[in-house]
Amino acid sequence: MDRRTKEAVRYLGYGNHAVDDGTLALIGDSFDELDQTAGRRIVYRIFDVLFQSGGCMEIGGFPVTSKDLGKNLRGCESVVVLGATLGPETDLLMRRYSLTDMAKTVVLQACGAAMLEEYLDEQQEEIRQEAAKQGLYVRPRFSPGYGDLSIRYQEMILRMLDAPKRIGLSMTDGNMLTPTKSVTALMGLSRQNIACHIRGCEACNKTDCMFRRS
Amino acid sequence: MLSERLGKELLYFDGGMGTLLQSKGLKPGELPEVWNLTHADELVDVHRQYFEAGSDIVLTNTFGANALKFHDSKYGLKEIVDAAVRNVKKAAALGVRDGREIYTALDVGPTGKLLKPMGDLGFEAAYEAFREVMRYGEEAGADLIHIETMSDTYEVKAAVLAAKENTNLPVTVTMIFDEKGKLLTGGDVPSVIAMLEGLRVDALGVNCGMGPKQMLPIVKEMMKYSSVPVIVKPNAGLPKQRDGEVYYDVSPEEFADTMEKVLEEGACVIGGCCGTTPDHIRAMTQMADRRPVHPPAAKEDTIVSSYGKAVVLSRKPVIVGERINPTGKKKFKQALKEHDIDYILKEGITQQDSGAHILDVNVGLPDIDEASLMQEVITELQSVTSLPLQIDTVDIKAMEAAMRIYNGKPMINSVNGKKESMDAVFPLIQKYGGVVVALTLDEEGIPATAEGRVKIAGKIINEAGKYGIPKKDIVVDVLTMTISSEPGSAQITLDALKGVRKKYGVCTILGVSNISFGLPCRPVINANFYTMALQNGLSAGIINPSSEDMMRSYHSFCALMNYDKNCEEYIRYYAGQTGTVAAGPKAALGQQAGTPGLSLKTAIERGLKEEAYHAAAELSKTQEPLEIINQYLIPALDAVGKGFEKGTVFLPQLLMSADAAKIAFAVLKDVLEKKGGETEKKDKIILATVKGDIHDIGKNIVKVLLENYSFDVIDLGKDVPPEVIAACAVKEDVRLVGLSALMTTTVVSMEDTIRLLRREKPDCKIMVGGAVLNQEYADMIGADFYGKDAMQSVYYAQEIFAKQN
Ligand code: B12
Ligand code: SF4
Repeated sequence: MDRRTKEAVRYLGYGNHAVDDGTLALIGDSFDELDQTAGRRIVYRIFDVLFQSGGCMEIGGFPVTSKDLGKNLRGCESVVVLGATLGPETDLLMRRYSLTDMAKTVVLQACGAAMLEEYLDEQQEEIRQEAAKQGLYVRPRFSPGYGDLSIRYQEMILRMLDAPKRIGLSMTDGNMLTPTKSVTALMGLSRQNIACHIRGCEACNKTDCMFRRS
Repeated sequence: MLSERLGKELLYFDGGMGTLLQSKGLKPGELPEVWNLTHADELVDVHRQYFEAGSDIVLTNTFGANALKFHDSKYGLKEIVDAAVRNVKKAAALGVRDGREIYTALDVGPTGKLLKPMGDLGFEAAYEAFREVMRYGEEAGADLIHIETMSDTYEVKAAVLAAKENTNLPVTVTMIFDEKGKLLTGGDVPSVIAMLEGLRVDALGVNCGMGPKQMLPIVKEMMKYSSVPVIVKPNAGLPKQRDGEVYYDVSPEEFADTMEKVLEEGACVIGGCCGTTPDHIRAMTQMADRRPVHPPAAKEDTIVSSYGKAVVLSRKPVIVGERINPTGKKKFKQALKEHDIDYILKEGITQQDSGAHILDVNVGLPDIDEASLMQEVITELQSVTSLPLQIDTVDIKAMEAAMRIYNGKPMINSVNGKKESMDAVFPLIQKYGGVVVALTLDEEGIPATAEGRVKIAGKIINEAGKYGIPKKDIVVDVLTMTISSEPGSAQITLDALKGVRKKYGVCTILGVSNISFGLPCRPVINANFYTMALQNGLSAGIINPSSEDMMRSYHSFCALMNYDKNCEEYIRYYAGQTGTVAAGPKAALGQQAGTPGLSLKTAIERGLKEEAYHAAAELSKTQEPLEIINQYLIPALDAVGKGFEKGTVFLPQLLMSADAAKIAFAVLKDVLEKKGGETEKKDKIILATVKGDIHDIGKNIVKVLLENYSFDVIDLGKDVPPEVIAACAVKEDVRLVGLSALMTTTVVSMEDTIRLLRREKPDCKIMVGGAVLNQEYADMIGADFYGKDAMQSVYYAQEIFAKQN
């Protein structure tokens, strides 16, 4: 089983249970279809971060308040702000199947999520290599909605990145990203050499790490 | 006058604004439009430099000036637009020294939101936002409206309509494409051009996104399709980053060099976008030196489009799917009456899967609000299929309503040779754009001769010309008559088909299946007549693409006439098949016969759809449908549900079982209806994911299960405002509402919804679920019931309705 299949199985809630053949076949079909239809677009920019007291900071001049993000960014001098999406094509595909095949729809959701993660991991790796050239180390991705970082910051991120124009990523009045298979995230850049786990703190075994996001 | 110069002489736009303002201190994320008021001198300075560099058309600094983006600004929109226009005029007074005629263009960019159905901004709301700035712009003295950097055909349609309906200014549009020649929302060059030409813009083109080099192939493609002048405004290269700053690195000289190639392709208006400076524009105007332009030739292709796809009617015939139409279809009529939109959408998807290129949409029934239903069906269809649609109605109000909200350039069915019809339909085509089906009948009826029909076609084409509607936007239907009542009529139709093709060179369309009315074994006649019509020049057949016979005619024709390269499509469809036609309408489902021994219960438990179908059909020969439901269907679902609760069955399996059960249920329902037995009046339940939350998987599972237990679920979707839920509960007199939420932040909307429901519909019970909730939370927000999984919703619903009934 390749990693994205494993991830999709995990999103589907199988835990340690063996996955049945029917579902596995659906997962295979879904990835095939997504590979053909899904768009993959990303935009990111690097901004300076200034720390103030009480979980307050300024990223690229924008005020942000979040203790959890503050902890995760401690010691960083700048932040990669990014938005990525699998595009409206993916939503269309899921809508289309939601009419005729719910199982496929759910599996497509899971595969889409796995695909988005995989894409972000690849991009993050490139960013890591770029940063390394300048002696900078990348912290894990931190998204609005994690911990105490309000999803209202989504609007700020989209504006900072000019995301609607650059990758067609926008949001609803309720701060939901559209297209739905999308993420926004912040990643700290610091001179401190800590080797972060690409899958983030949850997958990392440095439980005593002082930057660990809760 | 600008409109007289466009396409006749070379005109120059200005260059980038954002990048220059950033160098003057504008921060990323700050609203640049505010600078019109706070930094007027800086703006006048930039505009002046562009005039000095030779620009004829200078854009106001109003790219993002709309009510949607300015909701948190302390400055009024009108104030900003006034100042913006003033700044350009002031700069012109300072910077234009050769007395040339110049123009202030009101710059209109996208709203920054995605329109429904992909996002949450309504078409009319977008229209309103554009209308507001455009009115201010005209009042302030702008000379034209330039809509730019658009990546969504739907949004651009709202903007163009707003401009045309509320101002008298010329309208130009440029869109942003990626390197593959696609919009971010999936549209391609021909689909964009077809729609914009239909909307009668004065010029169209491409801006932003990439540098002049990368833009060349797109410009080339635009020239191939466009009949109106083309505008090209590239960036100074692709955006790059250094020290957190975005920059562009194509030099003015290099920019000018490549713009020369752009001119050679045939662009009539050129300028720059992000990263270009007055130096770039100066180099460009010096290079171009007012050389003569060649106005674009009128193109002859008949194109219909949706937001993502253009269908060109050319030599290879296309298939228009006829199934979305209530005529003669009992189930479809019922679906319309019950407002069962899903049923209609499934008809659309089935036809797409069978090979349709365009879908005909007819929802006309007596006693139905056709205009609003048509709008709804069109919108919903466009959220699940990218096939272009054919709006089929005799109700002019419904026709206009649908054309207005259609995303793309639709096909319109139909106009005819009666004066009344042409007077009503042509103004709509002229305004919204579209390819119209012209029926060859008039006040005197349908001519009995081919010549008569050809003559009417000529009359219609001629009259259309008076509205500026070109021949390419007319597709002639010479009408199919039933041969059983009118012998000889097939020959007349075929002759007329050939006649209009030869005389006017227009595309043609026919409703094919009419031919066999009243005869036995209709598919045989239909398929053969279809082939004959194709042979006589039929461009588009309105047929049932799920009919194997028709598709055989189609694929054979294409293969034989060399429209199907290397017979690829033919082989794809028919490799491995023998020559006999599978019998019966259910052939698709029944093709691979299932394991006959597999009982219904096992089939459902294992989630095997085909087997469930066969098992149910088999059982229904010997047992009563209701008995089958109680003995096999429900126990099977129960077993699966219990397994899911225990964690031995997982989500996809649960859903596969539910789908299998649904199919079995449909078989039994058919049997019940054939026997004339009334299917019970079902209890209604509303389901919705609350406002602000788009996690709808859980809610959808609840829906599937409830439906399988014969509840009538009204699914309001996700991100649903409390008012919508309450209004629906009142209107439909619903006694149970299920709400789903998955985020801590949206539990609040759930609470709001409950509060509103209590006030508006006190006798209604409310159940809630979703991963963030628990019993305690549910009690706190005042729900009647908390269900930890989907099965609980069934138990609770049964309990509630057992009490009430
Ligand atoms: C799939 C998923 C998504 C998908 C959603 C696709 C879709 N159409 O639903 C996508 C990838 C789009 C998504 C996006 C986001 N998500 Co999300 N997502 C999930 C995930 C992984 C699974 C949710 C799910 O579908 N579960 C499976 C279903 C079947 O379970 P369920 O909904 O609970 O339903 C069952 C029961 O609860 C019950 N039930 C449900 N409803 C009802 C109703 C009634 C009446 C009854 C009786 C029963 C009942 O029955 C169901 C079947 O038994 C969860 C994590 C998790 N494990 O929960 C995060 C999660 C919900 N997401 C989260 C967040 C923050 C987001 C984002 C804001 C992230 C971001 N910054 O991009 C975005 C929002 C995107 C946007 N557009 O703005 C957080 C929410 C945090 C919180 N508690 O507030 C979660 C918990 C993940 C996390 N830990 O961070 N997400
Ligand atoms: S816990 Fe691991 S992944 Fe998280 S910040 Fe520390 S080192 Fe990086």
